[in-house]
Amino acid sequence: MTVWTSLYTSSTAIVIAGFLGVPVGLWLGLSQFRGRQLLITLLNTLMALPTVVVGLLLFGLFSRQGPLGPLGLLFTPWAMICGQVVLATPIVANLVLTAVSGADNRIINTALTLGASRFQAAHQLLREIRFGVMAAVIAGFGRVIAEVGVAMMLGGNIRNSTRTMTTAIALETSKGEFAFGLALGIVLLTVALLVNLGLNVLQQR
Amino acid sequence: MALLELNNISMLQGDFELQVPQLTLQRGQLYVLRGENGSGKSTLLRLLALLQQPQRGEICFAGEPIAWRAERLQALRQKITLLDQNPFLFAGSVEKNLAFGLKLRGIHGDRLRQKIDQALAVVGLSGFQKRRAKELSGGESRRVALARALCLQPKLLLLDEPTANLDIGQVGVLEKFLVSLPQQGMTVVIASHDSGQAERIGGEVVQMARGKLIDAPAVTPELKVV
Repeated sequence: MTVWTSLYTSSTAIVIAGFLGVPVGLWLGLSQFRGRQLLITLLNTLMALPTVVVGLLLFGLFSRQGPLGPLGLLFTPWAMICGQVVLATPIVANLVLTAVSGADNRIINTALTLGASRFQAAHQLLREIRFGVMAAVIAGFGRVIAEVGVAMMLGGNIRNSTRTMTTAIALETSKGEFAFGLALGIVLLTVALLVNLGLNVLQQR
Repeated sequence: MALLELNNISMLQGDFELQVPQLTLQRGQLYVLRGENGSGKSTLLRLLALLQQPQRGEICFAGEPIAWRAERLQALRQKITLLDQNPFLFAGSVEKNLAFGLKLRGIHGDRLRQKIDQALAVVGLSGFQKRRAKELSGGESRRVALARALCLQPKLLLLDEPTANLDIGQVGVLEKFLVSLPQQGMTVVIASHDSGQAERIGGEVVQMARGKLIDAPAVTPELKVV
């Protein structure tokens, strides 16, 4: 169950972070406007967000007295997913931005002169840098499946509900069950390896 | 009839300024854009391809001033195709590269395949449909890019040094073909720093020097009236 919870929350979070982060990275990479550099600096800072800080801020939002308290999200998988989206989106956006900046600058003009709209040209650019986009998603997934702060503070480590592999490891180790914690750690690593292998296969296609 | 008219254009690009006091491109006419390296030929072609908006001046397409609005620009750009000096081919097959612009114009199925086959035959690359674009040689890449532009049958075809890096035999065949395009109603502009080429293919000469258009075919009053 803990393996499933980890996979379910992290996969859902990375899909949402992808839908948010890829367009933001693309937009920042392709447009020129005042304040762009400031936004990029902000994005870099968000990449280094400590997981417990995200957990703490969202705990304030989701707790009963908080602005989003009536939604009843605290200590549910969705609260964890929200926290993980906050963690992964800046990573995805930033790495997509890097991929766009490093892309051949003839791609957009070639698409435009062949009759594409700006949106279609950006879509074509995305296809050309798909390896970079996939790497961004893999990095984001690595961040969320391995984090413990958000899962612990927003999920509450509830057995059969919000206990993930990382919170289970933390719990077992604190109980003195070092060997069991280590075994769970190996399972986590194996799951991460399998998911990355799967994504790599997708990347090769 | 005038296809594209440029008046009092000034376009800044870093320290470089492109100046075009007046230029009129007539339908079904061949133009050779001449000038030394760095004289602004490629910049002028990008302007003619409507890829860059000038800071000053007016451009008219078929007598109508161009409003630089996205939805209008796409429709106009579908009538103009630029072949870059160093063209970029998309990842994937040669066929996919040629299909890109055709699909944007709503051409699919058998008609799409037929147009691709014809265009590849013209550049001497029949049978290259399934080849991976990134694995082609320099000369083959240029010819695929040319086929990709030709299959769209634009009203205005802009070619930046189209015969650079090609074998002498291929240059002759290609020049002969390019000269035949205006007879089908296409306006063709070929940028070339090779004066021999300009003499071989004929056409009206447009001369650039240090970013400024210094000589262009005179427009007679009769021709200017649309």
